Amino acid sequence: MNSKKIILLMGVIGLFIMSSCSNDFLDKQPISSLTPESYLRAETDLASYNIKMFEDFQVFQTEGNPFAQDNGTDVMASRGYENKFVPGQWKVPQGGSEWYFNQIYSCNYFLQNVLPRFKANTLTGDPAQIKHDIGEMYLIRAMVYFRKLKFFGDFPIIKTTLPDNKAILTAASKRAPQNEVARFIIADLDSAILLMKPTAPDGARNRLSQPCAQLMKSRVALYEATWLKYFKGTAFVPNGAGWPGATKDYNASYKFPSGSIDTEIDYFLTQAMASAKIVADATPLVSNNMVIQQSTTDPVNPYCAMFSDIDMSKFSEVLFWRRYDLALGVTNGIAAEIGKGNSGRGFTRGFVESFVMANGLPIYAPGSGYAGDDSIQLVRKDRDGRLQLFLKQPKQLNILYRSPLGTHSTPVEPYPDILNVLGNADYPTGYANRKGLNYDEALCGNGKSYEGEIVFRAVEAYLNYMEASYEKTGILDADAQKYWKAIRTRANVDPDYQKTIDATDLSKEAANNWSVYSGGVMVDKTLYNIRRERMCELLAEGFRDQDLRRWRSMDQMITTPYHIEGFKLWGPMKNWYAPGTLTYGIGDASTVSSPLVSLYLRTYEKTTTSLVYGGYKWAMAHYLQPLPIQQFLITTDDGKDVTKSPLYQNPGWPTTPNVGATF
Amino acid sequence: MNSSFKNEINQARNIFDWISSRKTFMIIILCCIMQISTKAFSQNTVLSLDLKNVSIEQVLNEIEAKTSYRFLYNKDLVDLSAKVSIVVKQKSVSKILDQVLVGTDITSSINGKQIVLSKIEKKSSTESLKKVNGVVTDDKGEPIIGATVAVAGVSTGTITDVRGNFVINTQSDGQLKISYIGYETKIVAINNQSQLRVTLIENTKLLNEVVVVGFGTQKRANLTGAVSTVNSKDLESRPVANVAQALQGIAPGLNISQNSGSLESRPTINIRGLATIGQGSSGNPLILIDGMEGDINTVNPNDIDNISVLKDAAASSIYGSRAPFGVILVTTKKGVSGKMQVTASTNFRYSEPINLPHQMDSYTFVNYINTASRNLGNGDFFKPDQVQRVLDYQQGKLGKKTIIADPNNPNHWGDGYSFGNDNVDWIRAVYKTSTPSQDYSASASGGTEKLNYYLSGNFTNTEGFMKLNQDTYKRYLLNAKINAKLSDWASISYSGRFTREEYTRPAALGNNLYGNLGRQGWPTLPLYDPNGYLYSSPSPALALRDGGRDKSQYDWNFQQLSLTLEPIKGWKIIASANYKIGDEFRSWYVLPTYNHDVNGVPYFSPQGWYIGDNTNVHEQANRINYFTPNIITEYTKSLGKHNAKLMVGYQSERNQERNLGLTRLGVMVPENPIVDITSGTDNSGKIVAPSVNGMYREWSTQGVFGRVNYDYDGRYLLEANLRYDGTSRFRKENRWKYFPSASAGWNIAREAFWSPIAGTVNLFKLRASYGNLGNQNTDAWFPTYQTMPFSAASSGWLINDTKQNTSSAPGLISSALTWEQIKTYDGGVDLGLFNNRLTSSFDYFIRYTNNMIGPAPELPVTLGTNVPTTNNTDLKTSGFELSIGWQDRLKNGFGYSAKLVLSDTKSNITRYPNPTLNLGQYYAGETYGEIWGYKTIGIAKTQAEMDAHLATMKNGAQNAIGTNWKAGDIMYADVNGDGKIDNGTNTVGNHGDLVVIGNNTNRFSFGIDLSADWKGFDFRAFFQGVGKRDYWQGSPYFFGASGEGVWGAVSFVQHIDYFRDATDPLGANLNSYYPRPLLGNNKNIQTQSRYLQNGAYLRLKNLQLGYSIPAKITHLVKIQKCRIFVSGENIFTATKLASMFDPETIDGGDNKNGDAYPLSKVYSVGLTVNF
Repeated sequence: MNSKKIILLMGVIGLFIMSSCSNDFLDKQPISSLTPESYLRAETDLASYNIKMFEDFQVFQTEGNPFAQDNGTDVMASRGYENKFVPGQWKVPQGGSEWYFNQIYSCNYFLQNVLPRFKANTLTGDPAQIKHDIGEMYLIRAMVYFRKLKFFGDFPIIKTTLPDNKAILTAASKRAPQNEVARFIIADLDSAILLMKPTAPDGARNRLSQPCAQLMKSRVALYEATWLKYFKGTAFVPNGAGWPGATKDYNASYKFPSGSIDTEIDYFLTQAMASAKIVADATPLVSNNMVIQQSTTDPVNPYCAMFSDIDMSKFSEVLFWRRYDLALGVTNGIAAEIGKGNSGRGFTRGFVESFVMANGLPIYAPGSGYAGDDSIQLVRKDRDGRLQLFLKQPKQLNILYRSPLGTHSTPVEPYPDILNVLGNADYPTGYANRKGLNYDEALCGNGKSYEGEIVFRAVEAYLNYMEASYEKTGILDADAQKYWKAIRTRANVDPDYQKTIDATDLSKEAANNWSVYSGGVMVDKTLYNIRRERMCELLAEGFRDQDLRRWRSMDQMITTPYHIEGFKLWGPMKNWYAPGTLTYGIGDASTVSSPLVSLYLRTYEKTTTSLVYGGYKWAMAHYLQPLPIQQFLITTDDGKDVTKSPLYQNPGWPTTPNVGATF
Repeated sequence: MNSSFKNEINQARNIFDWISSRKTFMIIILCCIMQISTKAFSQNTVLSLDLKNVSIEQVLNEIEAKTSYRFLYNKDLVDLSAKVSIVVKQKSVSKILDQVLVGTDITSSINGKQIVLSKIEKKSSTESLKKVNGVVTDDKGEPIIGATVAVAGVSTGTITDVRGNFVINTQSDGQLKISYIGYETKIVAINNQSQLRVTLIENTKLLNEVVVVGFGTQKRANLTGAVSTVNSKDLESRPVANVAQALQGIAPGLNISQNSGSLESRPTINIRGLATIGQGSSGNPLILIDGMEGDINTVNPNDIDNISVLKDAAASSIYGSRAPFGVILVTTKKGVSGKMQVTASTNFRYSEPINLPHQMDSYTFVNYINTASRNLGNGDFFKPDQVQRVLDYQQGKLGKKTIIADPNNPNHWGDGYSFGNDNVDWIRAVYKTSTPSQDYSASASGGTEKLNYYLSGNFTNTEGFMKLNQDTYKRYLLNAKINAKLSDWASISYSGRFTREEYTRPAALGNNLYGNLGRQGWPTLPLYDPNGYLYSSPSPALALRDGGRDKSQYDWNFQQLSLTLEPIKGWKIIASANYKIGDEFRSWYVLPTYNHDVNGVPYFSPQGWYIGDNTNVHEQANRINYFTPNIITEYTKSLGKHNAKLMVGYQSERNQERNLGLTRLGVMVPENPIVDITSGTDNSGKIVAPSVNGMYREWSTQGVFGRVNYDYDGRYLLEANLRYDGTSRFRKENRWKYFPSASAGWNIAREAFWSPIAGTVNLFKLRASYGNLGNQNTDAWFPTYQTMPFSAASSGWLINDTKQNTSSAPGLISSALTWEQIKTYDGGVDLGLFNNRLTSSFDYFIRYTNNMIGPAPELPVTLGTNVPTTNNTDLKTSGFELSIGWQDRLKNGFGYSAKLVLSDTKSNITRYPNPTLNLGQYYAGETYGEIWGYKTIGIAKTQAEMDAHLATMKNGAQNAIGTNWKAGDIMYADVNGDGKIDNGTNTVGNHGDLVVIGNNTNRFSFGIDLSADWKGFDFRAFFQGVGKRDYWQGSPYFFGASGEGVWGAVSFVQHIDYFRDATDPLGANLNSYYPRPLLGNNKNIQTQSRYLQNGAYLRLKNLQLGYSIPAKITHLVKIQKCRIFVSGENIFTATKLASMFDPETIDGGDNKNGDAYPLSKVYSVGLTVNF
């Protein structure tokens, strides 16, 4: 055989083995994974998807301590000041921010895939439960959208998943006027109410239910109604003067669906009242025996236990909550944080002074019986029961049931450690929160607490109704009166709210409480007291910031700075601290603020170099968040000219990154 | 069908009867059937020849060319190199053969048109034999003991004695073949001499060296691709943990880096720098051990015969889609026929951690933290009473009172962070400063020409630096190779390799331990409580010592069977089946840990931070089955000065993996933490369902390939490769791809015009190559499939107090994902001067990695999910490799050599989906590794100096970075003169005052290898290093206090050099290196020129001194060779880096903070004995 043949032969071999290269051998599929085609077909699939949403979403999951969420308002302060109260320091971001749609995408993916199967009746499982699962998803989407509404106002409404196509995504970036967003949320909530079961299917209210959607609906409607009312005529509402939406073709000729902004406000208030009433009438409040347990023989106070129990399903007022379990490794850090300084968050003097006396009189009112604030014990004396229950006092027992697991427990409440800058043991104002305290030391491991977390509490419906009905009619109707009295009775305050209203001096209140104002003008005394009730009842529960913004309660600080103050350090309480440790007037080494400035501890005013030495200030733009500039650029053809984008910036915010608000 | 054809059929059947009927083998049968001869056969062919002084082989070639006769013989048995002259006219072939073969030991028999040449059976006519004496020495005159002396063509022989002498009976006109391992075999004509003196030359030949290349070998002189080789000597006596460490700096362009010294960590290997920045793809070189993919770190260094590093596409393209970024071919030793050779070696090692940082003493620490806290207006962190206790304790006033009782709970000790006053260097509390290890190896090799073997074993036991609970690594290696010659045309080889690695460590030794030590190992934190019990606050020690262990065992079993057929001279078929089984079993368990109260009573203290709260046992197993059959066939043919080789082949791979794992809580018997005796309950006694997992997956590839080599007279060289490859990673439409490559060379030194200087310049070769490859190495095995994220019983949201199943929306996937394409251009020159004493090689290359999978063009976030990745990113990498070596031996026997290897690469990103050229991500036009930062003017020594600096800028000065600028803070330069310091829009178009201050790519990597030997002594010094590298180390490990606050602050003695004014308790330090420390603010530690680190280094990687005991002494105990040595690794380092870092681990550790487990400095003594 000669060379040619061998080469020929090898060629043939080559051809033969090439033909043996088979695609079958190379067709490998991910057999250990589920495919979209095979999933979301059964009721249990839907449930698994919903539960993942419960766990991942910020709307349910406060980061860390849920009782620290009022920080950065007039009621609660931490060691560091908030940039939003220092105009110029809050800057337009280049990218990032809350302007993202991932949760919306997740909701839409579910609805888009499940609804056709639901309509075609091809889903397997209990039909009622399938409906419930779908209803939950509508509620989740509503909650996600409400978060966007609060941050940005006008926002794109996207109901389906979108392809990765720039033109389509750019078109989808068009911002709907905020009342349209609110209407969209309410439509989702109506779907949720229609589909969900009246009680949570798990029997312990760790799943959602109709009342949750009703409560959410009253919250959203009240939010939007009051926003439109107090910002009416400004750039912060559709068709208001200087509304940036008018600069875009798609919004330039916007018309309110109900005709005018006033009818729109009325629509939302009506919705808020109706849905709030359903929840309030169906849900009694948990009782309060005013006991602050200090021994194992003391009776439990259900009103306190409701906020810190491991099993919250026994409290009717809790409509939806998250369960934790140490053994399962699902834990939080709440108990140890509340046992110490509430994650370094303290109540402000303004907040503490806003609580009335148990007899219903404001502290300044003649005959109120106010004992003064020379000590924490005195400041709690004879006050609104909620302040007595939830303001910590040194020497109180925090732990009644000992356990070696509690490596980070604080068995006895110490004198407030205002000099400790170590985050979680820090008492920045001297006044500390007790709501959420659990007496079992086993819950005080490092990040190993397992008390539950409340997501929806029915008392909010009482408050929503009172406010919505008064905003709508200007009077307190019978339901509102009934609700208000129920709340005050439970709080161990004289239920005669009129007594409080009559004794209220708004100019005195204004020194403490921002919600005296709306748009820089004082509201009437009844409305203020409705707001005060809300503030006191929802103490430390994270509502304050959104309430202040929808009430437009910070305009006055554009001209008049507000000083955040804590307890009255420069009274007898200064003796709680070792001699020489309280230093002031020595620059950065100062440990506290000077008594020459105020007898009360001014956490942010220890040195004159502090940017808030002169107090908190405000800029109108800060009522809403700025949109990130990158999203303007990416929605234009050339990536350069922000005016070509369908997006428009929120009022007062520039379209260049890293600069502060213009007004 | 004629007889010759039948003959071939029979022959083919013989071959195949006893092999399996696998498809690939069937192909060969088919091919053989097709060997149909059509040429007429003439009975009495006559021809004329006129050849002078040519080899017999050339005569045979001539006969083949002129007739249809074909010769069949075994080249190894029949020596056709003898020179003959023949002048015949019109003679029959048989006559001619008789004439040519007279005087040789070859006989011919004609069978049809096939002529079989075979060796004449030896007649045992002793009377014609003669006794020949001789001595065999090496080129230094030292006798070679045990050299094989055989009569050429006969299997009988003898072995030299202790003085190198031999006596053999042979014909006086015969030839002797003298061979010895490591030396070139020599054939000596006896020519009636009775006393012979033979000098064997060591096997350091260069030009005739055969280099292992893809699916074959190639003479070095004929190489046209970029290939570096490493031989076993380069790896000798290195006290390293694995082979890769020993390869660092040895071969130019082969980059090895190890940024952690943890026992199980493996160096990363890369060829020619940055391979890919593709998302979800990797660019590691393909590592083949005797042709099968494997882990180079599990090869016994003593088993390695040679390593080839195929660097350019022309060299590696034969491996197709698995080899776009180069191939490392490791060839292990084979059996050598002759007397059994036994080698045993052992060494004992003593390791010390390199650069363990020193922590501040406790008093300095509390002052440092207090100052850093005060500087930010937060007052003292440590209260005066604690500071006083710290001072008292240091002064010995407190005895063993490292902490006080908890004021809130006087029965327990206080929290160590709030109440501790100890003075502990936690780094040294946890790490040992020295540790021993051992290594043992043995091998045996021997056999006959027909059947030989190589057996070896190795055991290594290394201990780590964990002080409280030892970490250990053990490695067992076993290797067996058998080669059998089945017939003249068939041979078979089998090799079996087994490797086992066992790694155990404290369960608490996770990656975060290193980080936590610096961050939370406060010097004041008590290590022991006043009663002497280890105390946890929690702190790293207790969990380490008592918290349980983590044990892993990795087994690899390699089985390789290869059959080589040569049915016709020059035509070879090599079929091999390779199977690899990998098993990993790992278990870890968490045991209960106890603190002790003030009365010394233990109480349960879970160490959740380090090991979790509940005791548990975790078991996991992973199995990999990997099968790769391949078959190649090659044909070599020379016609005059034309030499050609053709090869075609087929290869497929199938890799299957499965795993399972489980965890159950509640260790019942701490001595026996085994799943069957766990209670399944948590600390509180509650039953918790065990967690389990398990899955299957696999990938496969398939490819056919061909190669043509051609050279003319060894002067003009050409090689072309083509591979057609498919992979399971992509869908049908994008699955298959052609990968062509070509290379050419010109051996100028062989040209006639070169002859005047040929004596000086022995080798001068120019090379060039081009190749196009694809990368299928996506991290995901199924990158084109959309899958639904699902997890069983895993929810963090509990229903009925139970974890639920969870699922979520699948990500978007581009099913059009396809190959990354790699194009490589390479040009090189090889030089050999002065009898090849000076050798040099240089390569320049450009590699384009195109169409990498990058982030899709950014889309508006209204999409709501990640934009699917697509092929849209390009990278260009270029660089050079240079090696220069000199080796010589002086007349007095002093031998020495020096070798420098130097390589460099740099990469540019040429396409990237970042239209706004944002500096936060890669951008087109970026030089890879560039560091953007501010220019530092300096630290303001006084407030006036700072104020004056700020006053120079009218537009906001340094406000964008921070406020409250004081003495001790950094003054940044207003580079763009706009009156403010900022980063603009952080884009290429507007980067404010940011400028490129450096580049963190390793540049100019080098190795310097110096060695010498004389009279049995040998010496080697091997340096390795990096010529240029910048590094930005912005972590707390560098800066101490930072924006991460008190829980992120690190305190080393280096950090003491911080700015202090005269009021500071530690005294003024105005000319400090570090600025004013700020606990919770980063304004002074922006990326900036002042603190940019110079990562260049020179490291004495290995220093060894050996002595081989003279043979005349060792022979007394029947030992051929005995070498004792001392060897040291990482002995010395020169670098300008901040002294708490090591240049190799500066980017190591959990968060690339340089907080890695330290590398080792190793000293060893060893012994190697050959029997």
